[in-house]
Amino acid sequence: MSNGRPDLSKDELYRRLEEAEDIIRAIREGEIDALVIRKSSVTDEVFTLDGNDSYRSFMEAMDIGAAAFDSHGNLLYCNGALCALLDVSKPSVADSGFWNAFDDVNRAIVNNALRAAREQKTTCEVQISVSGHLRRLLLNSDALQLGVNDAVAVTFTDITDRIQAERSQEAERTALAILASAAEAVIVTDIDGIVSHANAAAMTLASCDPVGLSFGEAFGLEFSAATGLMQGDDFIALAVAGQSVQGVEALAPRGRISRDVLVSAAPLRVAENQTKGAVATLVDLSARKSAERQQLLLMRELDHRVKNTLALVVSISNRTASTEDTIEGFRESFSGRIHALAATHNILADRSWSSIRLSELVAAELAPFVENYHRRFSIDGSDVEILPRAAVPLGLIIHELATNAAKYGALTSESGTIAVQLDSEPEGESRLIRWIERGGPEVSPPTRRGFGHTVIERSLKYSPAGGAQIDFAPSGVTCSIRIPAEDVVATSPVS
Amino acid sequence: METSETQDARGPKKLVLYVAGETPKSLAAIKNLEKICTENLPGKYVIEVVDLKKSPQLAREHNIVAIPTLVRELPTPIRKIIGDLSNSEKVLVNLQVSENE
Repeated sequence: MSNGRPDLSKDELYRRLEEAEDIIRAIREGEIDALVIRKSSVTDEVFTLDGNDSYRSFMEAMDIGAAAFDSHGNLLYCNGALCALLDVSKPSVADSGFWNAFDDVNRAIVNNALRAAREQKTTCEVQISVSGHLRRLLLNSDALQLGVNDAVAVTFTDITDRIQAERSQEAERTALAILASAAEAVIVTDIDGIVSHANAAAMTLASCDPVGLSFGEAFGLEFSAATGLMQGDDFIALAVAGQSVQGVEALAPRGRISRDVLVSAAPLRVAENQTKGAVATLVDLSARKSAERQQLLLMRELDHRVKNTLALVVSISNRTASTEDTIEGFRESFSGRIHALAATHNILADRSWSSIRLSELVAAELAPFVENYHRRFSIDGSDVEILPRAAVPLGLIIHELATNAAKYGALTSESGTIAVQLDSEPEGESRLIRWIERGGPEVSPPTRRGFGHTVIERSLKYSPAGGAQIDFAPSGVTCSIRIPAEDVVATSPVS
Repeated sequence: METSETQDARGPKKLVLYVAGETPKSLAAIKNLEKICTENLPGKYVIEVVDLKKSPQLAREHNIVAIPTLVRELPTPIRKIIGDLSNSEKVLVNLQVSENE
């Protein structure tokens, strides 16, 4: 009692010694971070070893979400910005509110980031769901010393909007690329009908850069069917009002060449019920129009040919009837001539009525008369392409010559041959083809001129440069056929 | 005395944890103690947290020097566990061994 303190038992003294040693151990091992200092006999004061709580004030002043964790991953502090970001109240954040903001997968990502941060700075992305909306957060974590404590500082930055902005930029770039690569003219206007985008195909339909001009000014479309009541701007106004217009024919006269186009316009909807302008497409109809014109031309040509052919058939029929004595004779000659006409027509039809090769024509006309064609027949000189105008009469001439050869000439005997020779050079305005029969019986001129003779001599006389001259020489019939040179388009060696 | 001890053994015993505001070790000690009690000693203890930052005079009752410190008053003798209670084995040994005393 001499020092004013109560006497302590031995056990109590041991216990106090043990406690003092435990305190020293705890300090050494960093297990405590505050001490109570007795200032007087009545007042005590607590000193924290982490200096002060200034880091909390600092974190609180930050705009981005920030938190501090101890080395075991326990949350030490979470600032207001992070509470707002996670939609967690300040009082509940320490009471597992922080961790509950994440699902299992993202909780594991945060835990891994906290562990990794003890070694090095770590960045990763986590996702949370706030009021049913997915938010994407960029997490940065790094080691931090708070007084005597090892800690980890973590910041969370909401990058949802940034990613969304990047995505919409990317989407816009893609949309522009699609627009640019579209083969058809595509024009985008704002709600006032002013052109904001026009692709390359659209540029060719305008006299100058259409961007900034009204759709009507830029393209000056002429709607012939609308008698001036409907203008280009009216389409855009309709589209902006929410009504699509499809497939109206118009003339786009402002380009280098005036073009027929098919106009369509539709509202440009960026979000539900939000129209930002209109999209118009101008499909070039020039090719289709030209095809239509070509078809019409062909129809007229076909009509013309059919009429010509019918007239020819009637004429052949009449003339054959007047020169044949019997029905049987008429049937044979008439059908032979009609078949000859058909053979030429068949080849011309196969060639789309462009031209016919001489060798092909001769072969087709001789086919009904000659079995071993190559032995009995030869063609010398160049082959030529003959236009339809000359091909039809030439086919008839060859038919008549062949008929004559089969009845009276070279084709009546086994040894008879026929040669067709084409002069390599034009003779004036004509190309000369010679029909030469040899090896047949002796020829004597016919006692009367039949229709066959008339066909041979007159068929090619539609031009002064055309015609044929038959000669009944005793050694064999020969015939000089002149084809107008203008109806011969090309020469090539005989194949 | 025996009567009171028997009564105490029936109901949960009180543990007093002394902390200093929200220092990292104080927060860790609270969390660790809650975890130990929930997982290993359910229903045996109630925890009272004393913030010496707010009421430093309360340190005198148990002669607290270092923070955090956990005090188990009953059963006697009084037990103090100093530190953030991160070593749960050490905490359990102190709390359970004492029970058997």
